[in-house]
Amino acid sequence: MGQFKVHRVRFFDFMPSGIRCMAFNSKADRLALARLDGSVEIFNFSNNYFQEKVIPGSDSRSIEAICWVGCDRLFTAGLNGEVVEYDLERLCPKYTLDAFGGPIWTAACNSEETHFAFGCEDGSVKLFEILPDKIQFERNLDRQKGRILSLSWHKSGMLIAAGSLDVIRVFDVKSGHSVQRILVDRGSAGTSNKDCVVWNVAFLSDYTIVSGDSAGKVQLWDANKGTLIKTHLVSKWDVLSLSVSENEDSIVAGTSEGTVVQFQLLSPKIGDMETQWVRTRTFKHHTHDVRAVTETRTAVVSGGLDTQLVICPLMDKVEVKSSESVLRKVIFPHRSLVSCAKKPSLLLFQFPDQLELWRLGGTDTIGKPGESLPVTRKPEKLLQLKRKGDDHICCSTISECGHWIAYSTVSSIRLYQLQCDNNNISITKLPKVLRSAHQLQFSADSSKLFVASEQATIHVISLSRSECKHVHTFKPKSGSSAPVHLLAASADGQWLTSANRHCEINVYNLKKLKHHCMVPVYNSLPSAMAIHPETNNLLVTHADQQMFEFGIVDKQYTDWSRKLQKEGLHRCRLKWGTPVTHITFNPQAPSQVILHDTHMFCIIDQSLPLDGLKAQFYSQLTPKDTSETDKPCKNNALKICSKYQPLLHVNLLEDDWLVVVERPLIDIHSQLPAPVKQKKFGT
Amino acid sequence: MATKRRGGFGARRKRNMEVKAVVDLGADSSDDDLPEEVTFEKAKADAVRSMRNALETVKRDKELLKEKRRKRQELFQQQKKRKLLSEDMLEEIESAYTKKGKPLDSEEQEKEESEEDEDSEEEVVNARLKESYKAVRLKDQIDANTRQESASDFIRSRLYGPGTNRTTTNQMLSLKNKTGNNKTAAVQFVNKNWGSENKGKAEKLKKRWVHSQTVVAN
Repeated sequence: MGQFKVHRVRFFDFMPSGIRCMAFNSKADRLALARLDGSVEIFNFSNNYFQEKVIPGSDSRSIEAICWVGCDRLFTAGLNGEVVEYDLERLCPKYTLDAFGGPIWTAACNSEETHFAFGCEDGSVKLFEILPDKIQFERNLDRQKGRILSLSWHKSGMLIAAGSLDVIRVFDVKSGHSVQRILVDRGSAGTSNKDCVVWNVAFLSDYTIVSGDSAGKVQLWDANKGTLIKTHLVSKWDVLSLSVSENEDSIVAGTSEGTVVQFQLLSPKIGDMETQWVRTRTFKHHTHDVRAVTETRTAVVSGGLDTQLVICPLMDKVEVKSSESVLRKVIFPHRSLVSCAKKPSLLLFQFPDQLELWRLGGTDTIGKPGESLPVTRKPEKLLQLKRKGDDHICCSTISECGHWIAYSTVSSIRLYQLQCDNNNISITKLPKVLRSAHQLQFSADSSKLFVASEQATIHVISLSRSECKHVHTFKPKSGSSAPVHLLAASADGQWLTSANRHCEINVYNLKKLKHHCMVPVYNSLPSAMAIHPETNNLLVTHADQQMFEFGIVDKQYTDWSRKLQKEGLHRCRLKWGTPVTHITFNPQAPSQVILHDTHMFCIIDQSLPLDGLKAQFYSQLTPKDTSETDKPCKNNALKICSKYQPLLHVNLLEDDWLVVVERPLIDIHSQLPAPVKQKKFGT
Repeated sequence: MATKRRGGFGARRKRNMEVKAVVDLGADSSDDDLPEEVTFEKAKADAVRSMRNALETVKRDKELLKEKRRKRQELFQQQKKRKLLSEDMLEEIESAYTKKGKPLDSEEQEKEESEEDEDSEEEVVNARLKESYKAVRLKDQIDANTRQESASDFIRSRLYGPGTNRTTTNQMLSLKNKTGNNKTAAVQFVNKNWGSENKGKAEKLKKRWVHSQTVVAN
């Protein structure tokens, strides 16, 4: 099939940020996640848990609580005292509002979605009214002594439970007075000198308050009488997160030691009508503190300081064995953070606060297959470009020749011209029509820059040594304003395709400067897209692992694509949990397509027959000379290599060199904050 | 209340006169002598005088206070005037606002790379202040920052402060190693960036030891 020499790159210090809070919107089936660096990610659970949107963070923003209102409004509140509403079409904050109560610790929306309550550092609970286009301060409830760390509305909207230090208060919303004061005990004698922080409260509709505190207890209180119903000692460390399911029959609590505990409302005796909260399951999928948990209809979603999002299915709720019934861990973002300039062998790494440009090293020795060759020329870091301003970088790209670098934040786009011989770098001004970009792409001959901007418009900028001119603006025919997340340009400079968040793929003709056609919409979001350099066929992979090939010139799906849909690739291809993030082609063998996701990369040869779902799967890691394994392998179109993982990027350079950017998980784990001390027997 | 007089002089005073008079008889007069004779007019004059004095002092005090207040108000006004920009600067800015910003754009292009892209209007105001200076109200900023810092300190101390029983990542990884199926080398030997300070110290110690050995040998 192909023999390659591999550049195995491990010097990309990609460090994801820990998860702070999350909110699940059951109407839209979407999860909004906020991380410690201020970025917000939205996952579409019905679309194979694909990371649909990413709103980059900012240095000045801190997020402590996140909340959905309706289907499409997202609010966060943080320690800088500000409430931010986000524009989910333009992927940036719409406006920020200062609550004037000091740092905001928690936010909660009532069940009718008319009012917001914020718990502040100065001990006051502030009520804001939700208007169609903004929120407005209404009034303060009675101010208390300690800081308010958690809030929960009762279903009726008349009472609010607020957790503070050592105490839980129940407020009557109409009068604003505290009607009940519940003292939380400090737990076992060893921790009695530190006050007990009630990290979470939840108000159930039968007037039971569930609280999780820093002594590791989950307690159930009666809100009418102010008495304790039951205590469950869950861990020796804090219970940092708590979530109640929608029909109030299950509570999930996340602790500092990485365990997630589930309580269910069950009757202790079969046939008995009385139900109690019973601790049922314990999951240990995390190594560090679990700071956010939520429950969907069929799964428990948890995230914490170990930066992984874990979606664990509840087997009693899952009906069909489908993609829902698999444990998923989202480790890396579902888009590529590495750009490659093939001719000068340069790699551009995107960090939230800077860009790094590296030149690959090399070796002079030739070896046998399976051997690792010594590195004679070390890889060198050519450039470290720090961003300007507070906002994090959301996209970046480098041209094929390696002379142009562009990156964008929510507030600005910058274009740089590189001269590699004397390492000179100069900044070029871009025309005023551009403010921020969702995706950037250089054309194959590095003469044009395509900027996918807000409202799904694509600007074409022509580049030259002295200045940049705005040439044209493309608008999608359907008039949709969903943000564009993928751009692909053909090698001959004639075609440009864009994919947006409404699963629409538009093809534009660059020579005639007009819209050419639109690919038939497939319900799943496209995760990677590329145009074949010779045949000009567009190859698209989607979030549900389906792959299509569309002939641009003929405006219809190719025969190979129809054959693929009929016969299908091997079934193990469909089991992959992570989406494909990059597609590339082999210039030496035009029928080969190389794709990769987080755990493997594969080569599909379009000229070989497809085996279909039922055949046995043979995979070759190293070529063997024996003839028995040769025959079945040769006829299979799909070859998978999972030797290098976890992968961030795979690309083909000239002369059969393959560059593989890995990020070993242990490198990420070694830079995480301190975990709790756990004594294990026998160590 | 009128004070009582010593001796049996009797109170032949007109009761409807409300006079606050305190008459000091003098401590050095002996008890046996008759008290001095004080005429009514004299007493009345004394009382009136003292009352007038009291009123005058009160008036004077009030006036003094008024003066102080007025002076302080003037001082504040002067300080405020000084704080605001001078009149001519304001006029200049206003006139520059009405002009178009084109001549300033070319100026901007010649400036260095470190210049931020700003609107032409902002450019005018910033041209007054030097490059890369921004006017902020210190009082607001410091207050908000200290509160945010105290909040993040609170959460840091609750999660990572004393008494939270935390361990290092090294411990956790070595525990994983010991309990895992494949027992591999510790992370500090596998990962070259790990524990760089300790490795640096070890290198220095080795050099020093080798040096000391060579010195001893020579």
